Amino acid sequence: MSYATATMSTTVLGISAQYHDAAAALVRDGVVIAAASEERFSRLKHDASIPVRATRWCLEHAGITMDEVDHVVFYEKPLKKFERLIVSQILHFPKSFKAFQRSSMLWLTDKLWVRNTLVKKLGVHPDKLLWSEHHLSHAASVFYGSAHKEAAILTVDGVGEWASTMLWKGGPDGIKPLFQIDFPHSIGLVYSAFTAFLGFRVNNGEYKVMGMAAYGDPIFEEQVRKVIWPEEDGSFSVDTKYLSYHYSATDSTTEAFEELFGEPRYPGEDFDPTTPEGKRFADIASSIQKVTEDCLVGLANRLHRETGLDHLCLAGGVALNSVANTQILNRTPYKTLSIHPAAGDAGGAIGAALWAWNEVLCLPRNEEISKPGLGRSWSHAEVSEILSDLKITATDLGEELAATAAADIADGKVIGWVQGGFEWGPRALGHRSILANPRDPDMQDRVNEKVKFRERFRPFAPSVQAGSEGRYFEIPEGSEQPIRWMLMVVPVKEDQREAMPAITHIDGTARIHVVDEAANPRYHALLGELGKKTGHPIVLNTSFNLKGEPIVSSPVSALATFMRCGIDVLYLDTFRIDKSDMRGLERVSD
Amino acid sequence: MILERRDWVLWMISSIVWRIPGRDSIKMAGFSHTEAGSGLDMLMAVEETPRRDMRAKYFRHALDELKHAGLFRKRALALATKPKGRAQAMLDDSSFIQEHGINDSDSLFSKLGELEFLAFVWIAERRGAQQFDVYSDLMKDDADSCTMFAEIAGDERFHIAYSRAELDRYVSGGEAKEVKAAIGRVKRRRWLEAWLRLSVIMGDTMSKLWLGLLYVVVLGPSSIFARLIEKPNRGFVAISVPEEDILERARMQA
Repeated sequence: MSYATATMSTTVLGISAQYHDAAAALVRDGVVIAAASEERFSRLKHDASIPVRATRWCLEHAGITMDEVDHVVFYEKPLKKFERLIVSQILHFPKSFKAFQRSSMLWLTDKLWVRNTLVKKLGVHPDKLLWSEHHLSHAASVFYGSAHKEAAILTVDGVGEWASTMLWKGGPDGIKPLFQIDFPHSIGLVYSAFTAFLGFRVNNGEYKVMGMAAYGDPIFEEQVRKVIWPEEDGSFSVDTKYLSYHYSATDSTTEAFEELFGEPRYPGEDFDPTTPEGKRFADIASSIQKVTEDCLVGLANRLHRETGLDHLCLAGGVALNSVANTQILNRTPYKTLSIHPAAGDAGGAIGAALWAWNEVLCLPRNEEISKPGLGRSWSHAEVSEILSDLKITATDLGEELAATAAADIADGKVIGWVQGGFEWGPRALGHRSILANPRDPDMQDRVNEKVKFRERFRPFAPSVQAGSEGRYFEIPEGSEQPIRWMLMVVPVKEDQREAMPAITHIDGTARIHVVDEAANPRYHALLGELGKKTGHPIVLNTSFNLKGEPIVSSPVSALATFMRCGIDVLYLDTFRIDKSDMRGLERVSD
Repeated sequence: MILERRDWVLWMISSIVWRIPGRDSIKMAGFSHTEAGSGLDMLMAVEETPRRDMRAKYFRHALDELKHAGLFRKRALALATKPKGRAQAMLDDSSFIQEHGINDSDSLFSKLGELEFLAFVWIAERRGAQQFDVYSDLMKDDADSCTMFAEIAGDERFHIAYSRAELDRYVSGGEAKEVKAAIGRVKRRRWLEAWLRLSVIMGDTMSKLWLGLLYVVVLGPSSIFARLIEKPNRGFVAISVPEEDILERARMQA
């Protein structure tokens, strides 16, 4: 198909890969009809490899072959990225020796040949390949994924090709760049450096730092501001003498950093905020969180001065910082906020496809992304067959699903909830969730320790039926979109904090998820039933996975996770499975 | 314990390697990932097998492997001396999950097919049992590790038995030649993979040497010039929209 003859039935496949969180997304008829991260299929958390399985499923879902895809868009320009890498390594000779060896091996053997890899592994015709840019993909993911025709767009990430941060204006004539801040000045990379210093894995543990921050006070703010600080013009700067990510492949901080903050926390070390050492780590987390928020607010305010627009779109990995998102809305003149649900690199797949749809092919504006379950689903018959083959004696509840699940939750059971297609993005939004009673004071510890086997300090999010959120939470105006995707942390109303101990974090906040009937009817019905039984249409909702594993995707992965943790009951489609229903498996022998 | 000849080799090598301080926890962390990888392979087999009667066996096998991954993880952390940095970092990083089919774009099951997959399971489990027998012997002074290896050995007996029984069913169904050929292919592939691993190590070492040379000879002098012309890039950089056609830009990787 030529570009001039593109029509609404044109099919565009977006691909993100090679760094972390590879994904594929398919756009047809102006709708994102399928989108999935590769990790959900490969079961390797943050899988960065070319998303062969995710692509295969997207095509199957659309009922087409790769030959019928009109354009395949990669989410960034790999040669530009390689250029940045080489230039940084030249500038930091000889400290960059190990990084040069390591990255050159990776690039020369794999990443540089992404075009060939896409052709070979996905079967793409080379003429169909297009290349977006990293931040442009992020910007397109949120702007074209929203319902707004005009918006200020802020993309903040670790680093793309050269830029770590970009300010844009989106309108009827497309997305126009205004300013960028270049590597090594990066909020995302500095936050990740603190993540590593606090004993968590980079690109995985940033949200743990956010959770840890609530236990501390920002008493290290002055020290943090020596590392990264907001400038008067709204930009920010980084002092690289404290950081090593621009020349090291393994470390992100220097000795000077340790002189400022003391000994780092080792991975896996217990975190107890009541000890002086634990409090020090929490204070450091609180301080970097505070400075990050100040930098983001500075950027958003500058963008508002440039555009004068009332609506702000946010994307890039830093936009997953749900505490900072609330600060942005509260401390800037914007009236409304939109955030792409998979704001990190995975979202680049949708962004690349939507950018090509709107700006390269110039097709009519696509529909808003409003439903979370863009991933693969399994039919009732498929689930039934799997249960039968695995000798599991489940009960098919049919119409009684919501009422029975609500009764189990009200009785204090922890349930697994697997319904429809799996979610787009890192949050469990009632398609692949673990649910429990938020009013049980022991539930947070129980789910952390017995169910998910993770750190005790980690908070849990609530899902609340749309219309009831104001009863429990202080909802900022203009947050309608992010609270439907669990992307904002808001205060729990003071009179509800004691009543909702399992979802109220130490600082009296919660990362809220508001559930619409249109977006997720079964989950909405469950909350309704819970409301009838307990008077509270609200539930503790955490992702259905164990520490270090991706969220479950298929019924088989859900059953395998269910068997290995303290979930009491599993709801798989309309089937209810008790642990005792799995006894048939024990009798399986040769 | 009666060891086969090759196991004596493994025993001798391991008895040296495992004495290196901190090595036991790293090895356990490595085993944890290997078992996790096997668990994922088995879960894929549950989803992909056309033989519905095999699903439950593969599923139970998968649960065993994932349980073993957890047991090894616990031992790795228990054996790690403070700070637990390397073992913990390794355990927290799923990219260490290696040697399982999912690392490729197709699962191990879909690459091998049912019969060869069963042959693979039978051979790999037998070999695994022999190896763990050696490690158990080496760690006989560590009661917790011995208990763990004994528990794993019990599960492996089931894995070896069911895979062998299935292969025997193929044999009695008149597919003796196919079974023999499948076992032969799996054995050859194991040797080939061992050779490939060695080649990768050698290639890696050579590449590092060449890249090291390139770094000194090319990047060294370039860095002097680069620093002379380096522009400060702090703060906002204003961007003008490129004049070239958007389609032309979209077609370029740079």
